[in-house]
Amino acid sequence: MDEEPERTKRWEGGYERTWEVLKEDESGSLKATVEDILFKDKRKRVFENYGQVRLGMMRHLFVVIDTSRTMEDQDLKPNRLTSTLKLMEYFVDEYFDQNPISQIGIIITKNKRAEKLTDLAGNPQKHISALKKAVDTTCAGEPSLYNSLNLAMHTLKHMPGHTSREVLVIFSSLTTCDPSNIYDLIKTLKGLKIRVSVIGLSAEVRVCTILTRETGGTYHVILDETHFRELLTFHVKPPPASSSSECSLIRMGFPQHAIASVSDQDSKPSFSMSHLDNSSGPGLTLGGYYCPQCRAKYTELPVECKVCGLTLVSAPHLARSFHHLFPMDAFQEMPLEEFEGERFCEACQGELKDKSVFICSVCSSAFCVECDLFIHDTLHCCPSCIHSQMVPSTWLTD
Amino acid sequence: DEVSLLVVVVDVNPIWWGQQAQREPEFTLSKCLDSVMVMGNSHLVMNRTNKLAIIASHCQESHFLYPSKHWKAGDAAGDDAVSSSRDGKYEVLAVTNDQISEEVRNLMARNIHRVSKELEAGQEMKSRILVIKAAEDCALQYMNFMNVIFAAQKNSIVIDACVLATDSGLLQQACDITGGLYLKIPQKSALAQYLLWVFLPDANQRSQLVLPPPVHVDYRAACFCHRNLIEIGYVCSVCLSIFCNFSPICTTCETAFKIPLPQMVKPKKKKLKPAT
Repeated sequence: MDEEPERTKRWEGGYERTWEVLKEDESGSLKATVEDILFKDKRKRVFENYGQVRLGMMRHLFVVIDTSRTMEDQDLKPNRLTSTLKLMEYFVDEYFDQNPISQIGIIITKNKRAEKLTDLAGNPQKHISALKKAVDTTCAGEPSLYNSLNLAMHTLKHMPGHTSREVLVIFSSLTTCDPSNIYDLIKTLKGLKIRVSVIGLSAEVRVCTILTRETGGTYHVILDETHFRELLTFHVKPPPASSSSECSLIRMGFPQHAIASVSDQDSKPSFSMSHLDNSSGPGLTLGGYYCPQCRAKYTELPVECKVCGLTLVSAPHLARSFHHLFPMDAFQEMPLEEFEGERFCEACQGELKDKSVFICSVCSSAFCVECDLFIHDTLHCCPSCIHSQMVPSTWLTD
Repeated sequence: DEVSLLVVVVDVNPIWWGQQAQREPEFTLSKCLDSVMVMGNSHLVMNRTNKLAIIASHCQESHFLYPSKHWKAGDAAGDDAVSSSRDGKYEVLAVTNDQISEEVRNLMARNIHRVSKELEAGQEMKSRILVIKAAEDCALQYMNFMNVIFAAQKNSIVIDACVLATDSGLLQQACDITGGLYLKIPQKSALAQYLLWVFLPDANQRSQLVLPPPVHVDYRAACFCHRNLIEIGYVCSVCLSIFCNFSPICTTCETAFKIPLPQMVKPKKKKLKPAT
């Protein structure tokens, strides 16, 4: 066996007396410790900061969903498949919110085969409607890890070098049925710089451990549905870019939004290029975005122009990714008794009632727990700092 | 029962208002605040569960005029609100400053905190923010402003803008992204009418009213080298800065780029027909 740093298993003494974590207070209730654990969990996610590392901003991610027989198990309510698909819808929404210029594709595997549910695309609606329809699929047979990774690889290897190529496998079965040696495929994936991560729903499977270790991804097994959701949220953030990914200047177009009304004489209704494939969307529209290179019309951004191949985005899409590049420092935690000053949270003007107060290291203003979470998760700027902050004016649009 | 929260942000930049008092003595800050209070009171009267907050935005800080910090109990609507905001106004005006830059987004950040905090109390709340802007934009705050806009969009908070003097591209983008209304007022003395007509109705009532048409928002980005607005540009894949021409080194993150060489096309060898 090769030398590998395995995590210690139960029989090796890795887990000992796990019940000692919970402590009762005088009245015999566990409430205080449970709240403490929840509080720490809330804070843990805030601190996953990579520091000054180059991030892969343009991501091409394939999600492989296992729809084999084991997905009918009812340990996640109502069954694993429905729960997974619902969490996938949430994941797709969050993913496009945090990475607006990236793309997702979905693959499902069952009956020892793999097929593409949706192709790599930057529009969340297509994926969400496909996921909603997939709830009715029957779960049968065994999954095939080899076939699904092969299918993903065939598309990802043609992607340009500056993007990050990733695969996320949601694997519920304990077996896989492969037509040939998966270790060769792992070598190929490593050569193509494709990063594979796995979320296991049943138990740890050794081939997944090797797969994720070799390609540089992460492997986790879920405890319950909340943990599953947390693991998916972990994959929403852009990962550190591998050292060998190329940096290049990508040519992009910034189309103007033409709003035309019926009363305007020169405006004529026209078809949008994005609706050529499906007949269900609205046909003729008056306004839209015109590609600056070939004047093809599209109804929403970001999109890749079908006629001339230019990526079309708008400035706010790029601005959305900025908080990844300039991450905020975590606030210092201080117990309420030690804090001097007015007992009011600077942000929401409410009274400070929690057991600890969070102080911004730059402007020394105090915030309560919820405001601190909100600032780090959603807002990405300290409300008191920006009163006096002089941010370099790099992004000016008018 | 649905709670509807309206937050009004008033720009009380003393330089602009001082100059304004000399330009048009009929329309001063007190008249503007009068119109705002009329609107605030009307909002509270529309529905029993409506809530209101008024914030004054100054160059260096922002101040909650209503509700005030020292109120721990629930809201007291009606005339109390009027008198407390009047007190707040005089305090703020007493502070003088020399800068002209206008910083509205910082206190918008505060509103969103406040709004989200109320949301966490478990009620269903629909909220919107109305910004009354007087002075010009300050371009230095672009990034913070965009962060606030995205946070508002995520929490389904609508941002409306009522502009008194010069157009503001940042507020136009904010209204467009969050689905709010942007209006540049032609006559300042009729401010109360515009506020009551355009900005008082809720988001779901707006579809049934005839309101001013949406403004054309310019979403083109400006290149980092010349500050020109460009339609096609080159984006660095590492730091997302935009350039109008290809350059071998990114000036922001100093990454060296590969120069794409034209691909070699091998000439096809024609098969010679054997001479018959």
